[in-house]
Amino acid sequence: MATINFGYSINRPRLIDIDRNNLRKSDEILLEMPELQTCIGCGTCTASCTAGNLTDFNFRKVHTLVRRGEYAGAYEEMNKCMLCGKCRLLCPRGINTRGVVMLIKRKLGDF
Amino acid sequence: MTFFAPFTIPFIVGAGIMFFVLAWKYISWLRGLPKDDLKLILRGIPTTATLRSVWEVIRESLLHVRIFRVNPVLGYMHTSLAFGWFLLIAVGWIEVVAYLGSEFVPLQGHVFFKYFAAGKIANHIAFFDFAMDLLLAIVLSGVLLAWFKRLRSKAMGMRRTTKHTTGDRIALSFLWFVFPLRLAAESITAAIYGGGGFLTGSIGKALHNTLGTAVLENLYEPSWWLYSCALGGFFIALPFSRYMHIFTEIPLIFLRNYKLRPTHKESTYDNFEVQACSRCGICIDPCQLQSELGINNVQSVYFLRDRRYNMLSLSVANDCLMCGRCEAKCPVGINLNTLRLNSRDAMRNIPDERRYGYLRGLDRSEGSGRVGYFAGCMTLLTPKTLNAMERIFESAGEEVWWADRNGGVCCGRPLKLSGETDSAHKMMAYNTELFRKHGITTLVTSCPICLRVFREDYDLDGIEVLHHSEYIARLINEGRLRLSGGKGTFTYHDPCELGRGCGIYDAPREVIEAVGTLMEAEHNRRDSLCCGSSLANTVINDSQQLKIAASLTAELDATGAETIVTSCPLCKRAIARCAADRVRDLSEIVADAITK
Repeated sequence: MATINFGYSINRPRLIDIDRNNLRKSDEILLEMPELQTCIGCGTCTASCTAGNLTDFNFRKVHTLVRRGEYAGAYEEMNKCMLCGKCRLLCPRGINTRGVVMLIKRKLGDF
Repeated sequence: MTFFAPFTIPFIVGAGIMFFVLAWKYISWLRGLPKDDLKLILRGIPTTATLRSVWEVIRESLLHVRIFRVNPVLGYMHTSLAFGWFLLIAVGWIEVVAYLGSEFVPLQGHVFFKYFAAGKIANHIAFFDFAMDLLLAIVLSGVLLAWFKRLRSKAMGMRRTTKHTTGDRIALSFLWFVFPLRLAAESITAAIYGGGGFLTGSIGKALHNTLGTAVLENLYEPSWWLYSCALGGFFIALPFSRYMHIFTEIPLIFLRNYKLRPTHKESTYDNFEVQACSRCGICIDPCQLQSELGINNVQSVYFLRDRRYNMLSLSVANDCLMCGRCEAKCPVGINLNTLRLNSRDAMRNIPDERRYGYLRGLDRSEGSGRVGYFAGCMTLLTPKTLNAMERIFESAGEEVWWADRNGGVCCGRPLKLSGETDSAHKMMAYNTELFRKHGITTLVTSCPICLRVFREDYDLDGIEVLHHSEYIARLINEGRLRLSGGKGTFTYHDPCELGRGCGIYDAPREVIEAVGTLMEAEHNRRDSLCCGSSLANTVINDSQQLKIAASLTAELDATGAETIVTSCPLCKRAIARCAADRVRDLSEIVADAITK
């Protein structure tokens, strides 16, 4: 029977195994920017994002994945950021988000 | 008269090494310049720029007018040392000619003339004895003040002075010893052979009476050895220490007048600016990172030092508000912000060439008109400003093209400030194309950050770029905007990018005075404080930013004005953290004062 296209799909099941992921880079990032531990993942950064308004760039998602050791594609994704700094002004935890973008790019540039 | 003695060897070797290193440095920097810069130099030489440079060299390298402006005692300290020493050399030269006529005298003969002439001159010319002693006394007073400054810099108008490296301290010690040792050597010579003026002559007589000839004979040669060693040591240290500024400021002044400037990419021209820094530390006091946060290793003097000795770290290069307060005070006139920017560029990530491909074909603008309005990211975060601008445009009957009201592309300056210059140019190209496509002739922006990059980096020939303060002032002057004046008291905060960055101080004040009464804060115009939220700094954290904003707000509150006005959305948000709704954008107070 041919598959009927209902116009939506189901996400492929996905598992992040922190025990298997290499968290060295993630730890280094946390060491340089300890305030990242206070992130509550509210997504204000993404909601206000200039680049996110134009593309599917999602700062919260990239940051969360990087923290869990999922580095693939993070550098390219971070390069969509325009560094305009709106997220930093709105972050309820006062995280230096521009510094985070630059730090992640510096650490993952060779991935 | 012979002009050689073994004790002159340290001096000759030192001077030789110094001149060789200087020549090697300057020639290699000039050879490294791009062709266009070399053309600028060649074209500039036969013009009045050369004469202006000579005058500036006299004013700044000899008399140090700009240091006098910082503090008169500090100015005297430096001038007495530099100009005094210069006159000692110049008058000493004339003295030799007066005694010996046109006879050839080698360099060491001039420098140690008192030694070689001792006992060989029958008739001393009293004028030279007096003049040389007077000059030596002036230089020694400068050395005394320099010692005093080490103990109490506050008395000389400096809250803090530079923390020097070991190399600089060695060079400094040699310099401080040069003049007392010269005094000792010349006094001992005068004690044995007579001569000398009110200073060396009198000390010489006293020495003659107390020590006796035998002791003096034993001290004679060693004293000249010590003087020569101090000179030689200083000369060897000079090209590798802060004292490189003595000579480097001269070519820098000429090159600057030939219109050479540092750019967003490093070049060998930068060396002239970096090594012309005397590490005087005048840039430390204006720095709010120092005065508010106690950060002591990132100020321009330390940045230039680290860059010069190849030990610059990313955290030092990035830890700067680029407010420009230090640049406004620098007595050498070094382009501190541009140098820091091109250092950041050199230390950046490798750019991804495919970056910002998503910009292609994007256009979310709306409306049509010859006047374009670019809100900028920060204004989109302060919608009150955006609404106020809409009311102002409406009241003035202006047809407006809204570039980015529905979300647009950043102007590129934040990226440039982070050193990613090449990527920033992609945004600049996108925005330029967008402006051209819609055929605007005037571009108004309410964000000084955007304004600065539009004026400095964009190629917008035929489009007049205005800050909203300038635009509103123009509307008022043309009678297109009717305002009810006399409403309330205001104090104004000069945003760094608008004031020191673009030189716009009067337009916002004009607008405020059309609405109410302006009360100036203690630091205003070129001397205004930074709000601390500057996009240029990616190192300090939130609480540190807040601390700077709090001190600024306290100063603005001290004026007693009802409302704090600024004309930068970023400054507004920073001040609002401490002053809540007492802070308003310039456009808001104008929109409220519009009479129907």
